[in-house]
Amino acid sequence: MTDQATMIETLDARVDRRSERRDFFKTMIGAAAAIPVLTLTLGGTPLHAQAAPSDADILNFALNLEYLEAQFYFYAVFGQGLPNDLLTGTGTQGAVSPGRAVAFSDPLVAQYAREIAMDEVEHVRFLRTALGSARVAQPAIDVSAAPNGAFSNAARAAGLVGPNQPFDPYASDENFLLGAFIFEDVGVTAYKGASPLITNKTFLEAAAGILAVEAYHAAIVRTTLFRKGIQTPALIDATEAISNARDSLDGATDLDQGIRPIGTSSNIVPLDANGLAFSRSAGQVLNIVYLNRMAVTAGGFFPAGVNGPIRTSAAN
Amino acid sequence: MQDQDLIVATLESCARRRDERREFLRTAALASASVTFLAGCDGGGADPVPPVVVVPPPPPPPSGVTDADILNFALNLEYLEAQFYFYAAFGTPLPANITTGTGTQGTVTGGRQVTFTDPLVAQYAREIAMDERAHVEFLRAQLGAAAVAQPPIDVGTAPTGAFSSAARAAGLIGAGASFDVYANDENFLLGAFIFEDVGVTAYKGAAPLITSKTFLEAAAGILAAEAYHAGLIRTVLYAKGLPAPSLRTATDAISNARDSLDGPSDLDQGVSSNGNTSNIVPTDGNAIAFSRTTGQVLNIAYLTRTATDRGGFFPAGVNGNIRLSAAS
Repeated sequence: MTDQATMIETLDARVDRRSERRDFFKTMIGAAAAIPVLTLTLGGTPLHAQAAPSDADILNFALNLEYLEAQFYFYAVFGQGLPNDLLTGTGTQGAVSPGRAVAFSDPLVAQYAREIAMDEVEHVRFLRTALGSARVAQPAIDVSAAPNGAFSNAARAAGLVGPNQPFDPYASDENFLLGAFIFEDVGVTAYKGASPLITNKTFLEAAAGILAVEAYHAAIVRTTLFRKGIQTPALIDATEAISNARDSLDGATDLDQGIRPIGTSSNIVPLDANGLAFSRSAGQVLNIVYLNRMAVTAGGFFPAGVNGPIRTSAAN
Repeated sequence: MQDQDLIVATLESCARRRDERREFLRTAALASASVTFLAGCDGGGADPVPPVVVVPPPPPPPSGVTDADILNFALNLEYLEAQFYFYAAFGTPLPANITTGTGTQGTVTGGRQVTFTDPLVAQYAREIAMDERAHVEFLRAQLGAAAVAQPPIDVGTAPTGAFSSAARAAGLIGAGASFDVYANDENFLLGAFIFEDVGVTAYKGAAPLITSKTFLEAAAGILAAEAYHAGLIRTVLYAKGLPAPSLRTATDAISNARDSLDGPSDLDQGVSSNGNTSNIVPTDGNAIAFSRTTGQVLNIAYLTRTATDRGGFFPAGVNGNIRLSAAS
């Protein structure tokens, strides 16, 4: 291919991304007419106060997500969950529906898994220390491979497994990478969406630092899936299916991309046409981890919901 | 390896990161103080509650720094990244109509298209090139008439050029030799490595200085994109470094060279493994990415540890109000 042809194809690919952005604005305008300002209970009492969360509320929300990620990676690497002294706090402490150690065949994937596991534990520890006595306990978490568990339900929503079939993210390198893929980009969008809500500059910079780390993690997982996907194209298809499943949960806007190449360019980095990562509101993040497009307070990876005041998913 | 051994070995590598953090804190104690929170690395229940410790605040921003100043500072860096990737991926510079603006517009000491061997690396180069161009266009659109022009940029391969000087500082080449980042896949990846983590630390360091919430969220989005890029480049170098270990040690050498420019604190890590754990993500002991001030970023871009207004990749300096490197 000539240089000029390459560039034109690449520019075309960029136009595709821009079209996604245009869709984004179109749906935003459509949605703006019916923005739910405040969710009320039947009695008229505010169910949640997501309009103006405190920094502690935001950090606790993040802590729930870090508990989830850390438990998944810790089981995958070590075959056991986080030490209990990292799980205590306010709210109801819950048990983990456990995973198990992955028998990694690719030593690189094993090394990546260990690195990410330790990073996520440090995030748990950092947030708990920053929050002090205000930190929430780990809620009940499901990182199991049961046929009716969260991973299997997520994979089923993506069409990767049939009715009553389990998806076992601990069964192989590839399944582990897809399990990781389910979480990683979501963490990036969650921290980005929260960034303008944080008032304390020290916490803001720390959150930016965690955001960066989650993006590095996501890139490890996406780059590795892409390389393995050259031999096993089903892996690339699976990321598209998971991405679409996430998009079907979090509202009408397209906030997510798999790793299928766009024209002659790879798509390791999920970005809008401006080259910016996407944002999700806390409610949209909860849509994905609860595996529910409605406004609910529990489900999916958090069978009893998250702890802390930010706990209701968005109504989509 | 037994699980228990694995945990111990992994925690040991974690402890090494903590040592780096302690080193960081020791050197940092020279600066004036603000309070932040740190946590221990090991998971033992016997640990006391981690103390609140003293770490340095970011040095005060230049007085009167505006959001536009910060976005223009970022725009200079995006010009640099975009030109490098554009030459590598397409053999051409950025279109001229997206390099105009206030200040003195400069020329590019150019590179050339890489003849990629690994088709995946070629795809990565094209993806990143277009992302960086999008960042240039986005920042220019936000800044409007205030956008700075692209200053002179050196992404060439001359023995006296910026890439060769950087590689020489890292010990990758000898006196008088050239480091040609366009020669092959590996050199391209190392050239990208020179920039990518720096962008992450620059956006993170700038985040608390931005007053507009809209710009802050946008900057967070660019920060994320740069971290994805860096994660991509580091993952590929790490994987290719399995059969070719010199690639991994080259990243360590470049990291050390950057660290020698930006002051005594250790803000940088190569990809070499800690025991049985990779080090794709450069972080402190809290698994948080590093920050650099604008002055520290310019130390690296100018390839100097002194306070100056030009050098290295920006032979006539950057355009805009933030243009001085730090005295490190």
